[in-house]
Amino acid sequence: MTKQQISQEHLSRRLLRKTLNGPGVSFALFWIGTLVICAVFAPFLANSMPLMMSKEGEISFPILRYLRTEDVAVLAAFFTIILLWVIPIKFKFRVNLALVVAVLAAVVVLANLYLKPPQLVIYDNFRTAAYTEVDWRVMPPIPYAPQDYLRSYGGTGLEAPLAAEADQQARIHLMGTEENGADVLSRMIHASRIALSIGIVATSISMILGIIIGGFMGYFSGIVDMLGMRLVEIFEAIPTLFLLLTFVAFFGSSLYMMMVIIGVTSWSGYARYIRAEFLKLRRQDYVQAAVAAGLPLRSILFRHMLPNGVAPLLVAASFGVASAILAEATLSFLGLGLVDDPSWGQMLNQSVTSANFNWWMAVFPGGAIFLTVFAYTLIGEAFRDAIDPNLSRAAGVQ
Amino acid sequence: MLTYLLRRLLLMIPTLLGITIVVFSVMALSPGGISAQSLTDGNMKPEERKALLDYYNKRYGLDQPAPVQYLRWLNNVSPIGFQQDENGKYTGFSLTKGMDLGDSFHYGRPVSEILGERIPITLLLNIITIPIIYIVAIAIGVKSATERGSGFDVSSSMVMLALWSIPTMLLGVLLLGFFSSIQHWQWFPTAGIGSRAAQDMPFMPHWGSLWDLGKLFLGMLFGTSLFVWLSRWQERKLRAFLAGVFGLVAGVWMAQAHASFSLFAWMVLPVLGAVILAGIGWMDYKPFRVIGLGVFGASLGILFAFQFIHEGFVRGFLFDRVWHLVLPVLCLSLGASAALAKIIRSSLLENLNADYARTARAKGLDESTVLWKHVFRNSLLPLITIIAGLLPSLLAGSLIVENIFSINGMGQLAIEAVKSRDRELVLSITWISGFLTLIGYLIADFLYTLVDPRVTYD
Repeated sequence: MTKQQISQEHLSRRLLRKTLNGPGVSFALFWIGTLVICAVFAPFLANSMPLMMSKEGEISFPILRYLRTEDVAVLAAFFTIILLWVIPIKFKFRVNLALVVAVLAAVVVLANLYLKPPQLVIYDNFRTAAYTEVDWRVMPPIPYAPQDYLRSYGGTGLEAPLAAEADQQARIHLMGTEENGADVLSRMIHASRIALSIGIVATSISMILGIIIGGFMGYFSGIVDMLGMRLVEIFEAIPTLFLLLTFVAFFGSSLYMMMVIIGVTSWSGYARYIRAEFLKLRRQDYVQAAVAAGLPLRSILFRHMLPNGVAPLLVAASFGVASAILAEATLSFLGLGLVDDPSWGQMLNQSVTSANFNWWMAVFPGGAIFLTVFAYTLIGEAFRDAIDPNLSRAAGVQ
Repeated sequence: MLTYLLRRLLLMIPTLLGITIVVFSVMALSPGGISAQSLTDGNMKPEERKALLDYYNKRYGLDQPAPVQYLRWLNNVSPIGFQQDENGKYTGFSLTKGMDLGDSFHYGRPVSEILGERIPITLLLNIITIPIIYIVAIAIGVKSATERGSGFDVSSSMVMLALWSIPTMLLGVLLLGFFSSIQHWQWFPTAGIGSRAAQDMPFMPHWGSLWDLGKLFLGMLFGTSLFVWLSRWQERKLRAFLAGVFGLVAGVWMAQAHASFSLFAWMVLPVLGAVILAGIGWMDYKPFRVIGLGVFGASLGILFAFQFIHEGFVRGFLFDRVWHLVLPVLCLSLGASAALAKIIRSSLLENLNADYARTARAKGLDESTVLWKHVFRNSLLPLITIIAGLLPSLLAGSLIVENIFSINGMGQLAIEAVKSRDRELVLSITWISGFLTLIGYLIADFLYTLVDPRVTYD
């Protein structure tokens, strides 16, 4: 019998500590961290134009002229979050969130006013004398933009990794090129933006929907519950992938549309979780007290009940991010995804459409999808173990 | 029980209605919607276009408002409803008019006919896959739960987690790319579930002479018995070493069989083969070891005997079908069995430490009786919940697999239907897959009563 001891640690802090100690979580965090860095700094990591060059004694930064509003907004949000995390003054979560949103809004407005990136970028221009015959220049680590189809080299098409170098040409493609001739590694780096943003935004949308619908179902029970459960049943009985296909085929597929569509089709699981929790919680004394005190419904549901029923939801959310990323990849794989923007699933699709099997189109993008899904699954597993009271009790924590 | 069944079946109707309403509104609310314009392409002469539009509008009623379209479709599909005469006028109410799923826009054929061709193919895939998933998952799940914390448990948990997160499409693409392309190993066909030539073949495979069959049989017998004998050796290190040598040879052979000389294959495959077989030989648990090595020996023996078979071998319809189905079924079953094995493991672990299991052990029952008679039976409930969800998820999984392996089943049909905005086909596929899902839930609820006598529905 292990010795029982009472933990003085704050619950959320303990859950975090136990999650981080889970098997494979450090690997998962490392991989997701790499993806975040790739996503934030994508234009600086893989682009056709020089980061910095000196021509006739004049130093210029060509890349800055081509930054789009989204690039700047992502950078600003990233640095704000890092800053808030590093500075010793700690705010409440709400203040932090408000600060990030405010900075983001300010940056978007300013960027729309002052940034004027050209509508049409001709990447081949960056390989002409204006950019190559200079005193010195600093190129990004991968000197190809994702939509740079390398036309100036003549139609490159599908090329195995390092094939161009073996041919003694002046270009290196670490992961080969895709069917239009663009560099695969560059597209992979830019695609990490789409994967991460779709995963997080779509899961947030479905979680918010699920919490609201499930919360009302659990709190009111009775007729609301019955009608809500029918709705949940309807959404569960249609195979999600098929519903997604229908949505995307009929509504088209821009990035934001995809986020909304994946979010709208996957809320039913969260609604079930929250309903079950709220059905238990509504009988608790503190909820009755909150009702008796005349608090508004919003306050009862979301400030008193939700924090107590949210833990299993976070496990589901972690798996939800994985399945949202998978859903986007599947749609792109089936040819219903984003058209011109790079996406891992769409690249994976190119490994079989051609007559040959192009292994680099399967291994690298497919490996990226696999590792990302695996990482989120590992985190979800570790978190589930952390909140499982049976395992805690076996370890002697009460 | 009968009243319960009746109630459940009646409750299905609003859900099915809801499903079709959701999908119909998605189609109707979309930009472009379901109109005749979205079905014609731009480069037509104006009068041809006009004629086609009129034809579509008259045949499918596409110029009417969306709710009317939906109600008309509903009336056609439901077995009881209003009857229509030749001119589309409603004549009267009828209880026996029968279901009419309508005609597909894209194919111009009755939907029921198309579905009748496609559904058996998808069902065949799933019916083969489900038992494989269960057998593999139960074997691994039970083993890792009873040996919690052992090397087998830790390694299999990691492998299962990885297999679970491997996307079906990646697995399919890799299998297709490596094992059915001329660049690597062309062992399996690239597409479909049967070759054209197999239509004219007899059902069973047959050989030029009986002696050839004998050779094949002898080869298999010899291979199997050799490896089963090897796997029953007591000296663990020697056993693992010998199995590893065989794995090395198999790896070398596979590298040799590669279509072009590949240094990578020569470096990796022998090592991989040696590690896998030595790992199986090293395992302490006898059944897995014997089965693993036995299957390897049997296939080695068959392959060896095949080299000596003379002309006149016809593979026959059955063997051809099996040969085509190997990769798709493998692709469908790997991920699902990994997920199921994890669930079985955790549900068994909960019950193995329960009080009743301790009581059973205390009164002197042996461990296998405790496991299979007491603990396993109590752990079946979550498994049954999974069965309910397995059918729809396999249908969705076969959507991807059918797309990769170009199998003309329901999944391919679903993709084609939404891409060509085929209203009748989309709606029919929706309600049929929804219906299958709901039936799955119902079956699961009945299985609960079989497994757990405490559950009754009265």
